[in-house]
Amino acid sequence: MSVVDFLWRFPSVQMAWRNLGRNKLRTVLAALGIIIGVVSICSLGMATAAIQQQATSQLGSIGNEVSITSGQDSDTDGVTDDQVDTMRNLVTDAEVVPQKTNSTTVSSRNGREVRVSVTGVTNAAALYNLTSGEAPTRLLSGALLSNSTATTLGIEEGDPVEYDGQLYRVQGLIEEENAFGFGGGELVLPESALSEQNHYNVVTIVAADSATATEIGGELDEYFNTEDEEELSINTFGNAGQVGGFLETLSLALLAIGGISLVVASVAILNVMLMSTVERRGEIGVLRAVGIRRSEVLRMILTEAALMGALGGLIGVLLSLAAGLVIFQMITGDPLGALQWSGFQYLVYGFGFAVVASILSGIYPAWKAANDRPVDALRG
Amino acid sequence: MSVIELTDVVKRYQNGEEVIAALDHVDFQADRGEMVTIIGPSGSGKSTMLNMIGLLDTPTEGTVHLDGRNVTDFTEDELTEERRSGIGFVFQDFHLLPMLTATENVELPSMWDTSVDRHDRAQDLLQRVGLGDRLNHRPDQLSGGQRQRVAIARALINEPDILLADEPTGNLDQDTGETILTELTRLKEDENVAIVAVTHDEQMLEYTDSTVRLVDGVVTEVSGR
Repeated sequence: MSVVDFLWRFPSVQMAWRNLGRNKLRTVLAALGIIIGVVSICSLGMATAAIQQQATSQLGSIGNEVSITSGQDSDTDGVTDDQVDTMRNLVTDAEVVPQKTNSTTVSSRNGREVRVSVTGVTNAAALYNLTSGEAPTRLLSGALLSNSTATTLGIEEGDPVEYDGQLYRVQGLIEEENAFGFGGGELVLPESALSEQNHYNVVTIVAADSATATEIGGELDEYFNTEDEEELSINTFGNAGQVGGFLETLSLALLAIGGISLVVASVAILNVMLMSTVERRGEIGVLRAVGIRRSEVLRMILTEAALMGALGGLIGVLLSLAAGLVIFQMITGDPLGALQWSGFQYLVYGFGFAVVASILSGIYPAWKAANDRPVDALRG
Repeated sequence: MSVIELTDVVKRYQNGEEVIAALDHVDFQADRGEMVTIIGPSGSGKSTMLNMIGLLDTPTEGTVHLDGRNVTDFTEDELTEERRSGIGFVFQDFHLLPMLTATENVELPSMWDTSVDRHDRAQDLLQRVGLGDRLNHRPDQLSGGQRQRVAIARALINEPDILLADEPTGNLDQDTGETILTELTRLKEDENVAIVAVTHDEQMLEYTDSTVRLVDGVVTEVSGR
């Protein structure tokens, strides 16, 4: 038995299919409304999914970090050694990396100058990735310089860089993966280079993932701060922080716009179904006269609406998939990202919405046709 | 026992301020294997009476008995079930569904009964009304007489006790009308069905067993009994 034969065992489907075929132009136009609605919902949804995916991959490097600076109620101008020791005692499952910061001007032999921020840190490996090789876990001599700064100044690995009257040999170049940039270049030196500063400007805690980072942040906040007194300012970027919240708002707004077009489409379906049931009033009267039940007429007309929605939805989903591949290629550079659930889900939702909206639009015409008294309907 | 019986039936319509009695204390009955013709000028209440007999409408006063059961106060859904199982309709302008083939149109009343396969009976009925070579034609590919025969086959698909025909020859030429009437006469015996036909076509009286003449909602003459 073929699929068609199987479907023909459902009289509502058979009748609905034949009825839709009677006025093909009208069916196609109504389905077109649904197609446009589905494509707008799906492609807007997939665009936000692509943006979100791209943003999270870029935020990934700081998402698992806790950043601690001196709080507004602190007596000192930084984080003290004692506080760092306490943190190390409290936090056992993450790397605690205290840093001293400053800024300086680095110049090259040819006289070109670049202003960079200076970070004094021992465990450089926890914070930096180098273009080649590994950053040292104990940076005791030598320096690391951002790749872009090095390129600008013509400095290569092994060249000396001066800071505070001392020369440091560049041991490695820092790979700048962070799209959010934090401005210019960075010079990383041993902690001893900034020894005239008593306190740490920043303590970074590097955890395994953003959930752990958030947990650690909360734990430290509870230990060091009270409601009235902020000894330390503790920041986490977990859950992609504010950026994630913004993206969620954006995606909701875009989906709402897509939703409006689907509402318009379902009004069109309501209109088409209403017109076609009014036109076929006499015919439905015949059905009722020969003993077709009200529920069966209702089902037949609802099936018509559902078929129209499914037809439009299916075409809409196929077009959206094509659009999604293009969108993902443009935003993330990987078209297959559209097939991952984060993007693909919008195709499922789009199709579901199309069918549900169409059925909802069919309810009133179907109810009206089914409850028309056969003796009235027969008069046409 | 009569298969359908109207007793003292009154049907009134409200038309603005005015109340019109379309049927005024009408009695009627029909037996299996009998053809009864209701005849009268237009506006005499023929169609209203046929709607009562066909359980499409309910009387304002009086009772309707189907096969000895009082169905006067049945709900719309109960009436639908009775029509489905016991009554067949033939309409003046055929009322075939244009997107269905002849066979599918005949199957239509039992379409939602997936428990029974009426396909063979539909084809058999079409063969018996002489349309064995038109099984898969659509209504627009059939002549008026052929369409009416499809409609008759459709009315018989559920093996009804009563077949109602509203002006069955109204849209047909003289010769085709006679063929249809011969067909109906044969079927009432073969299928042991009561045929109730409404017409203003005097030609039908040659084929009928009894005639009810209706004027202004009142039965003026019953002949042939």
